[in-house]
Amino acid sequence: MPQAFDYQKQNLPPIKSLRHAPREEMYLPGHRTCAGCGPALNYRLVAKAAGKDTIFIGPTGCMYVANASYLCTPYAVSWIHAQITNGGAVGSGIEAAYKILARKKKYDGPFPNIIVMAGDGGSVDIGLQAMSALMYRGHDVLFICYDNESYANTGIQTSPTTPYGANTTFTPPGKMIPEGKTLFPKDPPQLVIGGHPLVKYVATTCISYPVDLMNKVRKALNYDGPSFLHMLSPCPKGWKFDEKLSLEMGRLAVDTGMWTLYEWENGVYKYSRLPKKYKPVGDYMKFQGRFSHLKAEHIAKMQAFVDEKIQRIKAIAVEAPIPTPKKKAR
Amino acid sequence: MAKELMLSGCAAAAQGAKFAEVEVICSYPIRPYTAIMMELSRMVANGELDAEFVHGEGEHAQVSVVLGASAAGARAYTGSSGVGVTYAFEVYSPAAGGRYPLQMAIADRTLDPPGDFGSEHTDAMSARDQGWLMGWASTPQEVFDNTLINYRVGEDQQVMLPQFVCQDGYFLSHIPDKVVLPDIAQVREFLPPYSAPHPLSTTCPVSHGPQIKPDQGAVMDAQRASTFLIVPEVIEKAVADYNRIFKRNIPPFIEKYKMDDAEVAFFIMGAHANTCKKAIDQMRAQGLKAGMVRPRWVRPWPTKQIAEAFQNVKAIASVETSTSYGGAMRGGNLVHELRATLYDLEKRPLVTSFMAGLGGDVILFEDFHFMAKILNQMVKEKKTSKHVYWIGFEED
Repeated sequence: MPQAFDYQKQNLPPIKSLRHAPREEMYLPGHRTCAGCGPALNYRLVAKAAGKDTIFIGPTGCMYVANASYLCTPYAVSWIHAQITNGGAVGSGIEAAYKILARKKKYDGPFPNIIVMAGDGGSVDIGLQAMSALMYRGHDVLFICYDNESYANTGIQTSPTTPYGANTTFTPPGKMIPEGKTLFPKDPPQLVIGGHPLVKYVATTCISYPVDLMNKVRKALNYDGPSFLHMLSPCPKGWKFDEKLSLEMGRLAVDTGMWTLYEWENGVYKYSRLPKKYKPVGDYMKFQGRFSHLKAEHIAKMQAFVDEKIQRIKAIAVEAPIPTPKKKAR
Repeated sequence: MAKELMLSGCAAAAQGAKFAEVEVICSYPIRPYTAIMMELSRMVANGELDAEFVHGEGEHAQVSVVLGASAAGARAYTGSSGVGVTYAFEVYSPAAGGRYPLQMAIADRTLDPPGDFGSEHTDAMSARDQGWLMGWASTPQEVFDNTLINYRVGEDQQVMLPQFVCQDGYFLSHIPDKVVLPDIAQVREFLPPYSAPHPLSTTCPVSHGPQIKPDQGAVMDAQRASTFLIVPEVIEKAVADYNRIFKRNIPPFIEKYKMDDAEVAFFIMGAHANTCKKAIDQMRAQGLKAGMVRPRWVRPWPTKQIAEAFQNVKAIASVETSTSYGGAMRGGNLVHELRATLYDLEKRPLVTSFMAGLGGDVILFEDFHFMAKILNQMVKEKKTSKHVYWIGFEED
């Protein structure tokens, strides 16, 4: 394999504010997602940031079933369905193909942004093996876990990122199991950071902070090699909250410490929007029907889990300012 | 310049892939097909072949990687054996439904349990309804030929289908035989570079594999079924070109051995056919008019050619190297297809089946002679008294 070959890697500049974001939409209206759908907004922002020289891989999940209807798909860039199991592997194959096609001069454009847009199941549950192998082998692919914290497409079943205490159709609260889900979630970015030497960039985002989100997408794409984004995508149907509150849920997740915005770049952590004083987790949970069955003792258990996480962050935190939208732009 | 080498089936497959100038290869180790990937990785490492060699994390990933590569417009190659073939099962249907003409070499192997390295056709045969082209070779030379012929047929713009190129584990995959390697210029004449009609592209955006509504499903199924109706024409043309360019004489669909005046015949697939032919010579020396038909394809099934070949035969032994527990004939898979193929013949031959070569067992001359004895008995009694005989378990 000729190491020195110039694959014409793209270099996407940072976006200063929402007003400076590209006007072109690469994820268009006309899909069938729910009102207030967090993953759909997430998709729109990712596609906008990535631009036209992009190929999406969409493993089965909400963003497959509700988007890609035959003869009417919302993608203005190339998109391919993958099984829920194999987003990482299909992405690897596409990247390998573009490398050899470029070397053989069968393709001479800019190297595409290859993005796997997988849900939590397709990333860290049934799709974990393919995702991890992509990261390990070092393909120039951005793997995104858009996390709506459940298997929402099939009717809200528990996934490894579903929070403790959530009522899902596989973890219904009952006399014997009053809290519904009894387990605490997997930590997707830590899974990636922990064991994949070729990964240089991992970050977390939330749709409530769109400029931060788009810049992390661009930064991830600009890295030559694999990168991973864990993107909180509130789901009105699955979490059972009023659909007009999708962005508010994201903000509250950050303000309570339920979600943490950070970047991990070449081994260095940078946290952003760390609240000076965290709100209690109850402020976030009270809006969501999935937690409505919980008793005070369960909420206390959740608070203890978050407090412990906050302590860990404090131990390594280096707070860095990131571009945020001005009030006017919001 | 063409040259002749002694190559195992695995080495022949690797040479086939090299001459096809495959662009993306995805490997995962499992015996016995692994030797194909060992060869290819060596070729990529020493610069004999410029390809992306991806170490898949399993067979499911192997097929997924080559699916992605094919969707992006590259000629892609993978392979497996035994439980590896079944581990990848989910991705077979998307590969065929997506019309990705990738190739998967299968050196067949028994399925677990118990763990057994031996050859058996059940692994690949269980994937025969996934919409791929499929066929078995009987010599390393044929493995090489089939690799090129399958790419040519699969990549035909009227076809656009993935291909299982199968060979018997060990009997073929690990026993060297003479293979003539052609000139690369000849190969390029036969097999032009792959050009995907609608690749995942940045200049012409496409969506691959969207969701359909139930009423759109039958239309697509019918389209795929009708594709298989034209595949035989494409095979015929491809094999004719192959024979012309490489000065060969390969039959496009079935190999017939001493069938002109045959009264009893064997129907057999893969490397065991070589033993069968020698056994037929022995039978002929004893005065028995025996013959053999060996299908080169399972999908598309050469219905017309098989029916024609057997139209004047009195009794047929279907030699099963696969299992179909609880199936209509209580034995293997082939006999179901064979009996259906012969149903419309005016003079329908008697057909029985023999479970032989299972678990990697060798099928001996004496086994074929035993089968011939049963066939003779059937001819005498003018009936098929048993649908399945288990070789080695029957009373003489």
